[in-house]
Amino acid sequence: MAQRKINGNKLFMIVLYAVAACSAVPISDLLDRASQRSDTLHSLSTMLTQDLDSHFPPIGRIIMPRPSMCHTSSLQTPNDKEQALQVSESDLMSLARSLLQAWSDPLEVLSTSVKTLPHPAQNSISNKLKELQEHSKSLGDGLNILSGKMGPAAQTISSLPYSGGNDIGQDRISKLTNFHFLLSCFRRDSHKIDSFLKVLRCRAAKLQPEMC
Amino acid sequence: MSELVWQHETELVTVVTVQKKQVKRGLSVIICARMRRDLGLVLLLLLSAAVESNSISPPGKPVLVGCRSPEKETFTCWWEPGSDGGLPTMHRLYYETERLEGVFECPDYLSAGRNSCFFDKNHTAIWVYYYLTVVASNALGNATSDPFKIDVVEIVKPNPPENVTLLLEGREDSSYLHVSWERPHNTDTKSGWVTIKYQLRVKQENSNEWKEYMSGTQKHFNLYSISPGVTYMVKVRCRLDHGFWSEWTNTTYVKVPNYLRNEKPFWILVSTLSTIPFIAAACVLVMKRKYVKQYVLPPVPGPKIRGVDFQLLKSGRSEDVISAFIINQNFSLTTGSKDQTEEYLIVTENENGIADPSNSQKRKKSLIIPGFCLDSEPPILNDCEKSGATNQEIDNYVKSLSNMKPSQLPAQEQQCNFVNADATGHQTSNYDNTTQTFANSSYVDIQRHMENIQEVDVKQVDYRRVKEVNGDNILILPLNSSGCIDVQRPKDNISEDYSKVKVVDSDNMVFLQKEKVSVDTSCIEKGIYYTNFALQKPINTSKVEVCTEVINSEYVDTFSAPPLI
Repeated sequence: MAQRKINGNKLFMIVLYAVAACSAVPISDLLDRASQRSDTLHSLSTMLTQDLDSHFPPIGRIIMPRPSMCHTSSLQTPNDKEQALQVSESDLMSLARSLLQAWSDPLEVLSTSVKTLPHPAQNSISNKLKELQEHSKSLGDGLNILSGKMGPAAQTISSLPYSGGNDIGQDRISKLTNFHFLLSCFRRDSHKIDSFLKVLRCRAAKLQPEMC
Repeated sequence: MSELVWQHETELVTVVTVQKKQVKRGLSVIICARMRRDLGLVLLLLLSAAVESNSISPPGKPVLVGCRSPEKETFTCWWEPGSDGGLPTMHRLYYETERLEGVFECPDYLSAGRNSCFFDKNHTAIWVYYYLTVVASNALGNATSDPFKIDVVEIVKPNPPENVTLLLEGREDSSYLHVSWERPHNTDTKSGWVTIKYQLRVKQENSNEWKEYMSGTQKHFNLYSISPGVTYMVKVRCRLDHGFWSEWTNTTYVKVPNYLRNEKPFWILVSTLSTIPFIAAACVLVMKRKYVKQYVLPPVPGPKIRGVDFQLLKSGRSEDVISAFIINQNFSLTTGSKDQTEEYLIVTENENGIADPSNSQKRKKSLIIPGFCLDSEPPILNDCEKSGATNQEIDNYVKSLSNMKPSQLPAQEQQCNFVNADATGHQTSNYDNTTQTFANSSYVDIQRHMENIQEVDVKQVDYRRVKEVNGDNILILPLNSSGCIDVQRPKDNISEDYSKVKVVDSDNMVFLQKEKVSVDTSCIEKGIYYTNFALQKPINTSKVEVCTEVINSEYVDTFSAPPLI
């Protein structure tokens, strides 16, 4: 009698699990969507830096602070392909999420201070920044859902606080310089996020080799 | 250069020492030292002279042209050397990264050709900045290029796709071009390290414009809009993630065979056969066009006038027409029922007799068409109705009638007036006595100036009592200046006379006898009145001898002269 009950419970659980699994969106699809969004994010950031450079004197770059001073550079990320392919999926997801989380504050600072930016393409830059923030937020939400399906290791986020404050700079040169510096840091980080998600996508798409 | 000088110096010194072997040792030393210094100076002078004459110099500054990574795993950089200064010059590339401390030299100068540096996988780091400099050096000095900063992910430009093949597929009438290719062999898409997107472009051989298509990540593409007998040229290129586009592949040609000719006769046959029923239908329509016309455009029924034969009217013989009009009248001299309502249409008249623009307006409307005013039946009267009369004018008329003497009632003239339909009711009581006398009369509206009917002046429109109508001729009584039948006169001249036609002279002339009943009984032959009516035949007139008998004599009355009709 009790044996039959246990078997019945097991059967019930299996059926429930199967139903839940069947109705859920497969991870490969979720990763596909996420990587498409990160692709858009990166292309937006590239366009933004191009807009800024169009009127930015190249000489000013020499006096720029070295990019190793990006506030996300303390995060250990793979440096080449071999290293990247050896990182586990959960770690890749965690890295991507940490990087994305680290940019929510600085993007806000950039967005508020773009109004006072002395640049001819200020309107276009301001619009793109808003778009960037939206995409960043929706990608973050998507990655939260994804990491929930990938296990606890994927859920850890390293904190990378932004210490630049709310101030971009006082005079024109420093404003433009800091803007450019921050955007180039973001461009690199968005490329990292995009690459990690694309590697993850190909790893999850074992049943669909045509995706990779 | 200092080495050279030193070399020459030592040689010279040895030569000197050899030549000066006989000299004492102490002296030779002194000579050696002095000669060394002098020789150095001489050599320097010689060299500088040589430099100026042969233009050898330290090397010019090299310039780093660019770097490129074909698969995001290795990269190559190229530079452009400056002038070499006429001496063998060496170039070295040094780099620093932001991660590693120290300055490193290029690991491979050879793999990528001249003036290049190839970084293999072990020396390539992603997401780090490289700071590169090239140093050119020759015997006379160095020259350092400006620092060049790159990040490998920003310099990605893949090789072009490989093995572009074109295949014609599909049936003859719906064929398409299947283009396929392979990815550049050194890219790693399997692990997802790079994502390749392709683009192809197509051109007809004799055209100048390329059409471009995006293929996404697919390695094949179908072209559906191809024409037979045309040679197509196809090129493909690709790019990795957001990097630069590769170069286009070499052009691949394909010729589409010409197969559409077989279809032409078929279509000609089909089109010919399909036009035959249309032609047949057209022939039938043409042959039976009368029936078709009757069916499509049925004859319009003519106007229905009660008692009038439309055909008779159409035939145009006016005497018949008029007789038709007249015969159909319900005139009975004996019956003078008071119930019979006479409707008369009053012409617009101004009380003051002055041309009133507003009245003239009305008159315009009302007197455009000369017509018979018949009082037999309201419908016919309605034909005569014209707009424009006012109640005032009706009152005028009423007063005029009341002013008349009773004896004149039988002879009372009656104007054929035009009134509004709603005003006709007013006059019924007045006309009872006179209905019969004038029931038989007809009035004609004459306009003096027929050339501009629209703008006829008030005074110029008159009514005349028609004496008789004979065929095409209408006898008309003249207008007397004193107001025989003067509609526009003020009310004191209301009394009107009827005149008898004395004689008709010619086609256009009618002599009337003027008889003024109110004034005297003398016959006044009054003037000739000309009308524009086409009087084609002379009219036999009936003469009236005695004017005093005017009251009892005949008046122009169509019914009283039947033989003339």
